[in-house]
Amino acid sequence: MEALDLAVPPGVVLGFLGPNGAGKTTAIRMLTTVLKPDAGTFTIAGIPDTKPLEIRQRVGVLPESAGYPERQSGEEFLRYHARLFGHTRESARETARSLLAETGLTERAAFAIGGYSRGMRQRLGIARALVNEPVVVFLDEPTLGLDPSGQRQMLGLIRQIAEARGATVVLSTHLLAEVEQVCGRVVILNRGRIVADGTVAEIARRAGAPRQGRLQVPPEATAQALEALRERGIQAAEDSRPGQLDLALRAEKADEDVRAALGALLDAHIPVLGLELEGGRLSDAFLAMTEHG
Amino acid sequence: MTGGALSPPRRAWLSVARQELRDLWLGGRALGLLLAFSLLLSAMTYLTATNSLLNFLEQRESVNLTLQIGVAIGALLVLLTTADAISGERERGTLESLLLAPVQRVDLVGGKGLAALSVWVAAFAVAIPYVWFLARGVGIVGVALVGGFVVGSLLALFLAGLGLLISSLSGSNRISLSVSVFVLLALFAPTQLPAGARQGWAGDLFIRIDPFSSSLHYLGKVVVDGHGADQDASWLLSPVIAASASVLLALGASRFVTLRREAGS
Repeated sequence: MEALDLAVPPGVVLGFLGPNGAGKTTAIRMLTTVLKPDAGTFTIAGIPDTKPLEIRQRVGVLPESAGYPERQSGEEFLRYHARLFGHTRESARETARSLLAETGLTERAAFAIGGYSRGMRQRLGIARALVNEPVVVFLDEPTLGLDPSGQRQMLGLIRQIAEARGATVVLSTHLLAEVEQVCGRVVILNRGRIVADGTVAEIARRAGAPRQGRLQVPPEATAQALEALRERGIQAAEDSRPGQLDLALRAEKADEDVRAALGALLDAHIPVLGLELEGGRLSDAFLAMTEHG
Repeated sequence: MTGGALSPPRRAWLSVARQELRDLWLGGRALGLLLAFSLLLSAMTYLTATNSLLNFLEQRESVNLTLQIGVAIGALLVLLTTADAISGERERGTLESLLLAPVQRVDLVGGKGLAALSVWVAAFAVAIPYVWFLARGVGIVGVALVGGFVVGSLLALFLAGLGLLISSLSGSNRISLSVSVFVLLALFAPTQLPAGARQGWAGDLFIRIDPFSSSLHYLGKVVVDGHGADQDASWLLSPVIAASASVLLALGASRFVTLRREAGS
């Protein structure tokens, strides 16, 4: 790991991205004091790494591929962890029940975890991460192995943690679509160092992620449309389907190019039947920033 | 936010021990071990009381034999329990969640060790009626039970510490259990030495150094030879030192209770 310097305000979901081996899980384990860094220092919520117990008291973590005691019930598991965080017996019980309700596990509270589905285990793991009402919550691949419905539930829960609890959420994931959905800010890590930091739009723009447009015109007007576009200096090519034109857009001036293309076609009295924009997404930026290290 | 309103628990080891006790006893693992233990003791007592060959044993020797088996197996159960304590959590992927709690690792190890000792206490409780049945005729019930409990507790402490130490340092449960059983067999081997090998200063020293042999020798002196509890107390030196050292080492090694650093994401 190289120097990481991140200041994230409360209530924000930070997407923590990187290819396999980039050091995301190691970084999370170091920041949560489970692993000791070989060198260097850090602070979490203003607490230096020399006070690991205090850091752990303030953070919540859903580890990647966390294991669960199969024979304990969900409620017993949460009560135990609440006690380890300093709750009294009574408040541990209340906290466990309230978190089970928040994560939609009340009906399964008394059942052994061994019978829980993958999605239920992940929600239980999130409930465990919240027993101490943390100011920073680290979620390492929370949607790994979940079906689309489970993924949606999990993303809703993540939003809720940030919005209702005002906690900073650090979300480590490979699924870029979910980052686009929930993250207010994104950090891309590659080979132990940060290669991008900003909002999804900023990163896509900064990476110069290529964009493509597709215009649909009447098939008989294809040649005329190509000519009109070329006259305005817009690169376009005929698609294999009749009436489809592919536009190459400049990453930083894509909107301007689209406007120019539409203007050219309207000026030439060619009806525009459809317009699709592609590219310029986080995935494009991610690949651009991590493929060559 | 109320993060920070909670303070780290003062007696985290107690919370750990309570949960471990629940897992051990309500989870059924300790009950299974205890059932096997009581079946073994039943078979031994039945044979001692009825078998014509074993019947030639003097009554005190029968008591001693049953007591030694109770003590040795009871302590072994503690070793089996502690050998799984940390490496088992590591293997099941539950260790990281525990390490994320704001408790000292020594509390985790201490709590687990304390809970494992409950298996010895329960095993001894199971052995009481058997010892009583055999010892009542020769009037040594009290001596046998007190001696057995003291010696067994020292061995249980020793093996609890040893099991925790090995478990903390082992990457997998299989390694931890294999190493623990190997060490146990190595410690138990001197008790099987023929009488000739025990003679002389070298034999005496060998038996005194090994906590197992030394403990069982002491028990024999008290139960069979009718010596006073303090008459042969020097034989308890090795188990006392071994118990103290292994517990201290296990608590000291708690800082090695970590996740293995992996290459990956």
